[in-house]
Amino acid sequence: MDAFDLLDSAAPIDAARDLYRAAPPMDGERVAPGLAPGVRAPDFALPDADGNVVRLSELRGTPVALVFYPLDWSPGCSVQLELYQQEFDEFSSRGIRLLGVSVDSIYSHGAWAAVRGIKYPLLSDFQPRGEAARAYAVWRDADGHSERAVYLIDADGVIRWSHVSPRLKELPDFDELVAALDLVAAPGDAPNPTEE
Amino acid sequence: MTIWEVMPPRVTRRPVEVPVAIYGNRWCGITQLIRRALDRAGVPYQYVDLDEHPSAHAKLEALARGRLRTPVVYIDGEWLMEPSLAEVRAVLARHGVPL
Repeated sequence: MDAFDLLDSAAPIDAARDLYRAAPPMDGERVAPGLAPGVRAPDFALPDADGNVVRLSELRGTPVALVFYPLDWSPGCSVQLELYQQEFDEFSSRGIRLLGVSVDSIYSHGAWAAVRGIKYPLLSDFQPRGEAARAYAVWRDADGHSERAVYLIDADGVIRWSHVSPRLKELPDFDELVAALDLVAAPGDAPNPTEE
Repeated sequence: MTIWEVMPPRVTRRPVEVPVAIYGNRWCGITQLIRRALDRAGVPYQYVDLDEHPSAHAKLEALARGRLRTPVVYIDGEWLMEPSLAEVRAVLARHGVPL
């Protein structure tokens, strides 16, 4: 491969990875309240980028971190989901299944995940549009997408922690999120701070 | 046979430390991404939260002449505005710090 081949192979994916940096900013105050901890997490059945349907009730017995985000390719979401990929072992070491959800199609999810290196499933709340986001009280009707919200659901299907960002551009503090992960960690999977 | 064939010399690599500072916000994704990456790599840095220190925000605004984009990352004489993690990684590598 010569230097010109390198340009052909590398430039498009690098350009796509950085598209979000020049994209219009996304902001706005929270308009939907979200669900409070203590309530049963609404069931859903949504396809991932491979077309496999993920049904929450079939994950009973496994804690779930459910991340609603507004849109693929957008500025805040690109960084948020990349952060969770970088920190994936914080979820997996606690036996927690990490799932992203937005209104984008499965094809957008597939392309975006490939560009950003996201390995965990992204679910498509595409049709009926936003049905899961509405069930979790994080739907922004005027925008046609969800709030930025994180739900931690325990192995029995009960919401134990939730966070709906006060502004769309704001992410939950990751240190606070990690502390909350222990609330739903699978028995025996919570990291032992005395261990190396 | 030299003594080195029996007992190889121990090469101790001193960790390179360069001054690193991050001026950001706890709710900011890029701030969190970079801080967590530095934490994982054991790279020491100072963190200034711009919500808690509005005077620092004002100074950065002045330095950037009204074109401030946050977070701002300082690495041994270089100022980066709203850098990607890849950019931070590249600058640190240039200063001998792997990330």
